[in-house]
Amino acid sequence: MKEILVRPERCMGCRSCEIACAVEHSGTKSLLSAVAEKPAPRKRVYVEFVPEYAISVPMACRHCEEAPCVAVCPTGALRQDEVTRVVTHSPEACIGCWTCAAACNYGMIGRDRVERVAIKCDRCPDLEVPACAAACPTGALVFKEVEEFSEAKRVESALKMARGVAAGGSR
Amino acid sequence: MADEKLVPTVCPYCALGCGFYIKLEEGGTGIEYMLDHPTNEGALCPKGNAALEILSHPDRLRFPLLRTEGGWKRISWDEALERLAEEIKKTIKVHGPGALGFLGSAKCTNEENYLFQKMARLLGSKNVDCCARRCHSPTIPALNRAFGAACMTNPISDLENSGCIFVIGSNFAENHPLVARWALRAKDRGAKIVVADPRLTPTTWLADLHLQINLGTDVALLNGMMNVIIEEGLYDRKFVGERTVGFEELEEKVRGFTPKRAADITGVSTGAIVRAARIYARSPASAIIYSMGITQHSHGTNNVSACADLALICGHLGRSGAGLYPLRGQNNVQGACDMGVLADFYPGSVSVNDAEGIRRIEEAWGATSLPIGMGMTAETMPVAAGDGNLRFLYVVGEDIVNSDSASSRGRKELANLDFMAVQEIFMTETAEMADLVLPAAAWAEKEGSYTSSERRVQWSPKAIEPPGEARSDLSTIVRLANLLGLPFDYAGPEEVLAEIGKMVKSYAGITRERAEGRGGVIWPCPFLDHPGTPILHRDEFCAPQGRARIVPVDYLPPDEERSLDYPLLLTTGRIGLHYNAGSMTRRSISLMKRAPELFVEVNPQDADRWGIVDGDLVEVKTRRGEVWARGRVTTRQEAGVIFMPFHFPQTNTITSDVIDPEARIPEFKVAACRIGKMKGV
Repeated sequence: MKEILVRPERCMGCRSCEIACAVEHSGTKSLLSAVAEKPAPRKRVYVEFVPEYAISVPMACRHCEEAPCVAVCPTGALRQDEVTRVVTHSPEACIGCWTCAAACNYGMIGRDRVERVAIKCDRCPDLEVPACAAACPTGALVFKEVEEFSEAKRVESALKMARGVAAGGSR
Repeated sequence: MADEKLVPTVCPYCALGCGFYIKLEEGGTGIEYMLDHPTNEGALCPKGNAALEILSHPDRLRFPLLRTEGGWKRISWDEALERLAEEIKKTIKVHGPGALGFLGSAKCTNEENYLFQKMARLLGSKNVDCCARRCHSPTIPALNRAFGAACMTNPISDLENSGCIFVIGSNFAENHPLVARWALRAKDRGAKIVVADPRLTPTTWLADLHLQINLGTDVALLNGMMNVIIEEGLYDRKFVGERTVGFEELEEKVRGFTPKRAADITGVSTGAIVRAARIYARSPASAIIYSMGITQHSHGTNNVSACADLALICGHLGRSGAGLYPLRGQNNVQGACDMGVLADFYPGSVSVNDAEGIRRIEEAWGATSLPIGMGMTAETMPVAAGDGNLRFLYVVGEDIVNSDSASSRGRKELANLDFMAVQEIFMTETAEMADLVLPAAAWAEKEGSYTSSERRVQWSPKAIEPPGEARSDLSTIVRLANLLGLPFDYAGPEEVLAEIGKMVKSYAGITRERAEGRGGVIWPCPFLDHPGTPILHRDEFCAPQGRARIVPVDYLPPDEERSLDYPLLLTTGRIGLHYNAGSMTRRSISLMKRAPELFVEVNPQDADRWGIVDGDLVEVKTRRGEVWARGRVTTRQEAGVIFMPFHFPQTNTITSDVIDPEARIPEFKVAACRIGKMKGV
């Protein structure tokens, strides 16, 4: 199962993902109409700047295996797919109690100002690659299997270590 | 969906030439990512993602407008073009063609730019230029002298193969975000990234080594690095011996430039300079990326020469992973230069002083006396307007009022013109000053070719109709030329491209069909079956005897220094969410939401000293005037330096107007200033 995974060290804070997400979730999914849409379409991915470290981190819903938001939702508006584990939200069933926002560790629950219900990442069901990951210029957001993701990180880390060993050996 | 149509297009913002699809469907247009594009692999920066927002913007110009005493008056195209032709004829008759000025656009297609300069020169005016003057004009003489070709040597995706990427005076992570994609890929494969920048930027975040140099001390750093490389014998003897001239002079020049001396001037440690030099010289293939931080100085040409020298002595040219990357600014600035929309070059880099070359152009154009000699530049045209030497100015797709240095002065000078015509998509501040405004089609509303920073020539088809009566610049120029009695007879842009192929050798093999293919063709492409040349200078340079010239340069300090009255230095630059003078991005809702106003970054020490708190309105004053901006207290720059982006009109009213003696680029990057909190707020 592919997940939206984050490589914060690659994030340049450009917020391309936020714009791509808002457009994908606008009524028409088209930018021209999306900007004119009232209210403006809401994004579901957030780039947080951490001033102490001068680093930006893209934050996307983790679609947790044991999702706390789903566990606490009193109406079943938040549901988790049994196979893909994607957590989706149906605005019709939502009563706007915000228990999910309290339970989420990552602050991934937003608020639809007009419908006054929760709003969250649906992992772009119509797209092969979610809009945020497709738009990201640097690959800070990737849509990959966890195994594949970790392997790539292992290979990079091993390379660095190998270079260290080689440098030490030649001294 | 059955009723949707995908039209490929080239992004209209920076010079990377990223591709995407415009999705046409009922109820609007959208973006579809082009996953197989060789430069961006589908990904787009925020500006690219928001590019369509400007197309059907309510502010778009829809009809020709003539200034009258009662304000703007809508007129017909026939009236507008007849009036324009009449003004041109009148000016020629009374003042001669030397009083005509033509500013082309690095945002327009190759075909439009080619015809624009052809028209100007056939009318006898040598005053043809474009905004390349304000970004990479130093690159042109410096790299022509060094390599015989003033352009990026390797494609962007080739950065992936670098062992070291040395970045000086470029914040590509914000301004050319897709470059970061390839730089990070190189880093994943073990490359070292060294960034020299006076500020902390998203580009320095990804650096292994950040050299936080003092403003305008680039040559000192580069000479210091070359001193280390020569002293330690790290230079490429074979390459230097076989493929360059001038090494001995450089050796002489940098001998005295010890790391200690470089450290004293640049403000970074000797250790860091030595380390940077070793990393760059020792890696199997190193690339240098530079941009406005190198060029926008009163000694910009020297800065570029020093970058070229570093690459030459280490032999980091002419192969994969190496190279020199002057990142260009506008979607077609490379193309506009190739087409000769420059006061110093005819199409195909024929110098305006090359009588023999110009004679060949006369033959091709069926002309008799094309002008010889340097014309007025984008910077000197307003001055000449003020002096009365320039009486008529035709500006296509440029907001010169906001992008000139010390621009409030330029505004007064332009007001002195007899007649100014502006061809634009929006009513920019320059258009506000014009006598005649012609509505232009934006990039997706017309067709033609664009040349990206990596020399990639790509065809961009028409996707939608322009608003109102707006027309492509090509059709406007052709109709105007015909009214002026010039025999411009082209069935479409592909015919113009065919003529370009005859005039510009490196475009000879580029046809519409080839440019339409995914990723187009990278010039030089001298004949039809030629695959294009992604990597330049593989076997020899385009210079005499095929050898590159090493041009040693001296370190010169920036023109303005700190003084009692002006104790701080102001530097300017870009931010990720805006583009140049902002006439497009400041009209883009999703970008403005994220970056709504002009700000000034101030170090906490300076903020304390002048009583400024984050969020205050701050007055910034230089010798040319003062502006207000929202204060941001941040350690992104060291004490004594403040930063303002130039996307909002105020910034360039106070920047320095001292120019590089050769390239005539203003020193946008350093101005002495003082700051204070706005009273009563």
